Amino acid sequence: MSKSLHPLPILMIALLVWLSCTVSAADEVASSGFGSVAIPRPAKPDNASECVEPVEVMRREHMKFLLHQRDATVLEGERDSKYSLTGCMDCHNPARNDGQVVRYPDPRHFCADCHRYASVKIDCFECHADRGLSRSQQSRLIPELNTGLVSSQTFHRQLERSGED
Amino acid sequence: MKTELERVEPRPARRRFLQGAAALASTLIAPGVLLYISSHATETATKSPRWGLLIDTNAMSEADVDACVQACKREHGWQSRAGSKTDAQWIRKVGLSDPQSGHRRFLPMMCQHCENPPCVDVCPTGASFKRADGIVLVNRHICIGCRYCMMACPYKARSFIHEPLQDQLPVAPRGKGTVESCTLCVHRIDRDGADAVPACAEAVNQGGRSAIVFGDLNDSDSEIVKRLRKHGGTKLRADMGLNPALRYQGL
Repeated sequence: MSKSLHPLPILMIALLVWLSCTVSAADEVASSGFGSVAIPRPAKPDNASECVEPVEVMRREHMKFLLHQRDATVLEGERDSKYSLTGCMDCHNPARNDGQVVRYPDPRHFCADCHRYASVKIDCFECHADRGLSRSQQSRLIPELNTGLVSSQTFHRQLERSGED
Repeated sequence: MKTELERVEPRPARRRFLQGAAALASTLIAPGVLLYISSHATETATKSPRWGLLIDTNAMSEADVDACVQACKREHGWQSRAGSKTDAQWIRKVGLSDPQSGHRRFLPMMCQHCENPPCVDVCPTGASFKRADGIVLVNRHICIGCRYCMMACPYKARSFIHEPLQDQLPVAPRGKGTVESCTLCVHRIDRDGADAVPACAEAVNQGGRSAIVFGDLNDSDSEIVKRLRKHGGTKLRADMGLNPALRYQGL
């Protein structure tokens, strides 16, 4: 019996190389029979280092947190929970540095980015504010706060004060 | 401050009847004649607050009422075009005049946050509801926009959103196809409790005045109860027995 290389290890190495290639490609683009789509990479907030839960949990469970929270807020007045939609929009504020308003129908919106990719249709933002308040709104009303984003609560107090003038 | 809230009993009338029956102490004073002594009055003071407003119309000019309306618009981000019958109307100015003397008076009119709200009775989905602390709200997550509540409300306090909106404020979600009304600035109440000041009160209580007083009607030491005890207050359409949480002075 000749001492030729057994084909199985070679096949396994080839498979591993092929797999690693496809995985690294999937980081950027998801392919299907209908073409390829860029995988969303929603921008991280610049004013917080971590979310209220680990990213893996938030990806799968954020809708459950929000659904529970909406009833607790409307029926029982619980507004200081870490799972508030307002809290989401305060951190993941889609207002851009150039003052441009990014509303939910815009694919650059933090929520819209993934929802478009996953073909999810929500109607949260037909009623709810789809962003913390934009830089342009802030700079119009409160010039001294133009340098950074503020939470909606802070903004609101500023808005009240500016209205009194 | 966080308020401790309890679930609202869905059928208050029945519950009150049962409580009343339990609270009655009966004494047989003659064959067939019973003397009933009700202890109901001592039970009305509960731990749960009941938020209300006292509006002193003697202290309010027409401009003050306009300021209330403007403050509400700014707080919640609603607009109303002049003459439109379908625009949002969380609060409006009502003028009263006496044709004989020519005396005129203005008052802000909004949701009266009734103890027995007809809008809650008629709502087919349970969207119109009363919180445990007495604030009457619309749960827009389950409102189907049928507008029964608008017809049931004797104060015409509610309005319907006919057109799609954008750029709502974070504290006041509002959207097409749902009914809305005064929330008593519930976002401020949830944040500040008894120290909260609704936007309309904040607008008129400038310079040490207190034309609109916010407070807990169940707390005998609160400012609102003290002022009511001293000067009284009118419930609008008290004949209907809705027991509104808004009281007016000077009408």
